[in-house]
Amino acid sequence: MKLVKDKVAKLSFVALLMAVTAAMLYTPTASAHGEKSQAAFMRMRTIHWFDLNWSKDTVPVNETMTVSGKFHVFAGWPETVDKPESAFLNIGTPGPVFIRAGSWIGGKLVPRSVSLELGETYEFKVLLKARRPGDWHVHTMMNVEGGGPIIGPGKWTTITGSMKSFTDPITTLTGDTVDLETYNLENTYFWHTLWFGIGLAWMVYWGSKPMFIPRLIAVDAGKGDSLISSTDKTVGMAFAIGTIAIVAMSMASTNAKYPVTTPLQAGLLRGMIPLELPAQTINVKVEDATYRVPGRAMQMTLVVTNNGDEPVRLAEFNTAGVRFLDPKVWEDETNYPDDMLAAEGLTVSDNSPLAPGEKRTISVTASDAAWEVYRLADLIYDPDSRFAGLLFFANEAGVRQMVTVDAPLIPSFI
Amino acid sequence: MSASQSAVRSRAEAVKVSRTFDYMIVFVLFFIILGGYHIHYMLTGGDWDFWTDWKDRRLWVTVAPIVAITFPAAVQSQLWWKYKLPFGAVLAVLGLLFGEWVNRYFNFWGWTYFPVNFVFPSQLVPGAILLDVILLLSNSMTLTAVAGGLAFGLIFYPGNWPVIAPLHVPVEYNGMVMTLADLQGYHYVRTGTPEYIRMVEKGTLRTFGKDVAPVSAFFSGFVSILIYFLWHFFGKWFGSMAFVKAV
Repeated sequence: MKLVKDKVAKLSFVALLMAVTAAMLYTPTASAHGEKSQAAFMRMRTIHWFDLNWSKDTVPVNETMTVSGKFHVFAGWPETVDKPESAFLNIGTPGPVFIRAGSWIGGKLVPRSVSLELGETYEFKVLLKARRPGDWHVHTMMNVEGGGPIIGPGKWTTITGSMKSFTDPITTLTGDTVDLETYNLENTYFWHTLWFGIGLAWMVYWGSKPMFIPRLIAVDAGKGDSLISSTDKTVGMAFAIGTIAIVAMSMASTNAKYPVTTPLQAGLLRGMIPLELPAQTINVKVEDATYRVPGRAMQMTLVVTNNGDEPVRLAEFNTAGVRFLDPKVWEDETNYPDDMLAAEGLTVSDNSPLAPGEKRTISVTASDAAWEVYRLADLIYDPDSRFAGLLFFANEAGVRQMVTVDAPLIPSFI
Repeated sequence: MSASQSAVRSRAEAVKVSRTFDYMIVFVLFFIILGGYHIHYMLTGGDWDFWTDWKDRRLWVTVAPIVAITFPAAVQSQLWWKYKLPFGAVLAVLGLLFGEWVNRYFNFWGWTYFPVNFVFPSQLVPGAILLDVILLLSNSMTLTAVAGGLAFGLIFYPGNWPVIAPLHVPVEYNGMVMTLADLQGYHYVRTGTPEYIRMVEKGTLRTFGKDVAPVSAFFSGFVSILIYFLWHFFGKWFGSMAFVKAV
């Protein structure tokens, strides 16, 4: 019986080891950036990304692609998140798989942090140069100081080729062209190796003498001073003088080699130019809004007034980058990421053209699994249970008008 | 063999055992110090040491020596006063740099593909040598703290300049002036390190024109003196055998 028990124990142990080993070998690639775990209210009520375009799905190493579009800085910015007085237009990729060759807001280069105004809409563009082959999820992203990263929609992009062929040539103001990917590398290795070697030589000098036990005995016996000889002091002096001399000479030679250097550039960029949108002629008032948990659907009752001179229809509801479209009015032709596009997700009780001067109360339902998949339904567990988003109305010619909505959301659990 | 008998039978054997013991202690000490010092330095120096676009002439120069003099002071307090071995600072710094290079090469470059010329660590060996030599020559904690601490802060920037200077060459990029280091920070995407958290060129030190680095280095040296005293005592307290004796 004991033999059987031992065998079972041994086999169990082997099985456990195999399971642990197998688990260690299974290392799937991380495929997202935690955008779904970011609080829903933050994604719905801060930065609204829209009209996004990823210029390519596949990019060879060394070639570029752009991520462009617009973002609206929501006027109903939540109190719990710091205002975007200092924000940085970033790009959400798994490390430097691309290099950011350029980024612009309103046509202005933004390599540093910027100040954004609530209620304004901005055009942006990020130019990326492919560096590391693989399939990468490329997100729009805005970091807000005191608010954290606000990640926008992402799209899979494939980089082909070899990273070994990647180059990043830059021409300096002194006229030299350098490859930033490998620039200064040998110099860095040289100086670090040299100083490590000198440090090691110091250690070897002292390590060549008896160290711990005899010296401890001598120190305890009050003979510590006898452990340091005049040669030791001379060697110490030589190391100190040598160190100072190397530092002085290397500094002088470096200054001779690089006579023009400037401090790091820093400081907030202000005066971002917002997009000039046509005067808003459509007025929307949210009467009520509920989220039906079992149906994964949000229903809004809206009072819409058309003060323009053309009839319009509701085409889209966009919140946290998820687009709900009424297919009878609008079809996506931008190759928007499938998982964030509910092409038939918008149902309107009466979506006949709203004539100029007409006022109508409509019931709008935005339903799709994206509410759950993107954890937007978690909004009902937020401390400030409000929803927000962008409504897009379109006229017959396909010209759209954007209207923001922001209202309390009542959950329905039955 | 009774407990009162020696474990060795001759002087030669005793010397051999003693040397073996020396190498074992140094080896173990190196990695223990590496672990503690590395964590400490990453938590306190952190981004200033990680990225070239944080290595500025004001805050990096000020912060790095202040947070780096800690372990050298503590290790010196043990190795000097107990063994009269004047390599505590160099041992600590070599441990730190070895750990940092392993981290930068295998983690920053090997895993996340940030080029090494963007993420190399700061150079601390020149300051450590001066600290050890001053202790050796003076046999005084006070003098080592004052002269050594000041030297540790002062030599930091010039000791790093040969590696940093090439990255401070200016470029014109889409209509803006940037250094190559700025451009590295801009090009190599860091989703978790937005530009606004970069603590560079901040402060009110604006009356010295472009010659800010020497003033920052003096200030750093001054604070390093105080930190040296503090950590020297930490080292003494940590290495105290009073508790063992009591048992």
